[in-house]
Amino acid sequence: MAINFLEAFKFKRKNTFIHNLDPRTKLYFALIITIISLCFNTIIPLLILFLSIIPFFILGKIMTQWINTLRGLIFLAIFIIIIDTLFIEFNLGVAMSLRLFALISAFTLFFLTVHPDDFSQSLIQMKVPFSFAFALSLAIRFVPTLSQEAQNVREAQMVRGLELQKGNILKKVKNFIPIIIPLIILSIQRAMVVAESLESRGFGASKKRTYLYPLKMKMKDFFIIILLTGLLIFIIWILITGSLPSWMQFRIPF
Amino acid sequence: MGKNGAGKTTLVKLFNGLLKPDKGEIFVNNKNIITLSIAELAHIIGFVFQNADNQIFSRTVSDEIGFILKNFGYNESDINNQVSNILKRFNLEQFKERSPFLLSGGERKRVALASILCANPEIVILDEPTIGQDASEKKKLVSLLQELNQNRVTIIIITHDIEFIAEYIPHCILMRKGLLIAEGPTKYLLANEKLLEEASLIKPQLVQLSDLLNFEKGLHTLEYMKEQILEFLKS
Repeated sequence: MAINFLEAFKFKRKNTFIHNLDPRTKLYFALIITIISLCFNTIIPLLILFLSIIPFFILGKIMTQWINTLRGLIFLAIFIIIIDTLFIEFNLGVAMSLRLFALISAFTLFFLTVHPDDFSQSLIQMKVPFSFAFALSLAIRFVPTLSQEAQNVREAQMVRGLELQKGNILKKVKNFIPIIIPLIILSIQRAMVVAESLESRGFGASKKRTYLYPLKMKMKDFFIIILLTGLLIFIIWILITGSLPSWMQFRIPF
Repeated sequence: MGKNGAGKTTLVKLFNGLLKPDKGEIFVNNKNIITLSIAELAHIIGFVFQNADNQIFSRTVSDEIGFILKNFGYNESDINNQVSNILKRFNLEQFKERSPFLLSGGERKRVALASILCANPEIVILDEPTIGQDASEKKKLVSLLQELNQNRVTIIIITHDIEFIAEYIPHCILMRKGLLIAEGPTKYLLANEKLLEEASLIKPQLVQLSDLLNFEKGLHTLEYMKEQILEFLKS
């Protein structure tokens, strides 16, 4: 279940409008969605924001992976609603869950449609030091490996009679110890191997790198960036003048 | 035996319920395994994974070995008894209180094997037990397996180590692309050039030698080869 949300990192090469956009455009998109979602804390605006992301997933033909990702988040959303209802109020809980969904969706769109190499390349072209960009893309690259390894460890402990679903909540959490520890050990082992293998292939040997495929912004990228910036300015203007229509403040009576 | 991707691991994972069959049925001790949970099957079938690091998590070697019994709900004193038994049998007594992470690769592999055999399964499946084992560890492994076999434990081994099979394992199954292509006594199968080629294996060295010397086709014992060679030299 918890492994489902790792779907967000399973990039597949496809030829769609969204896939062909520049990674920087998609990163900008995710950032704008983040900022807008932080501007509101009521249900209706956040719901509109969330729904407005859906067409992009349809355009990118990645609906199934996106739904799987959200499914993995449902527990967290329920948890947020419960905690908020207990300590603050129900409406805020729902709004915060929607904000979470919108944020995760925006970044899911980014990771599902950007090849890890393009991602690091775009960071480098935004003047992020090479080793940081490389480490980040390496981390993304290893997410599927990690989920495969988690599966192996789970099987190895299951054949030793470990039953994950058994017992009360405390016991269930404890059941995960035999899975987490080998996973950490395996990751550290692999990190060492990767580091040695990188060094033996001359990682960091030359200070100035050149790139085979530098990224280039196209017309449609600029178009989308201008649109997004316009949207952001519009929303900030609404917030400053306080001209939000009253139906936007709708609250679920609870 | 068979090439990588031939379906060996998939097959054995079906035996102990880690994978469910799409069609067909699997019976262990006359029970359809669909009716049993993985934990219940674990009482009958012990599965030793290729990479011991997939399972090691405890603070001490004894805890690691006793984990399976704890899961099966044994009481403390039974666990301690059984674990000290196993430690003796596996020559691991000196590591009893040590952290399993500080052991060598071969020793960790032995701990992993011990941690499965501790529950006295009737069937043991070993995935690549000889990988990363040095010659003396391999010998220890063989004597352990022979001892198990005398106690009427069924042993299933997945391996690429053809010399190991040729020397110690009497019965053998060859697989290719998810299909079983041959089953029978090792000494006939491993001398059959066509079958070996189909399974992407090479002949064991003993077979290569006997072919070179134009002896009778087949995988012969070392003793037999020695006599034949002596006779050959005399003539």
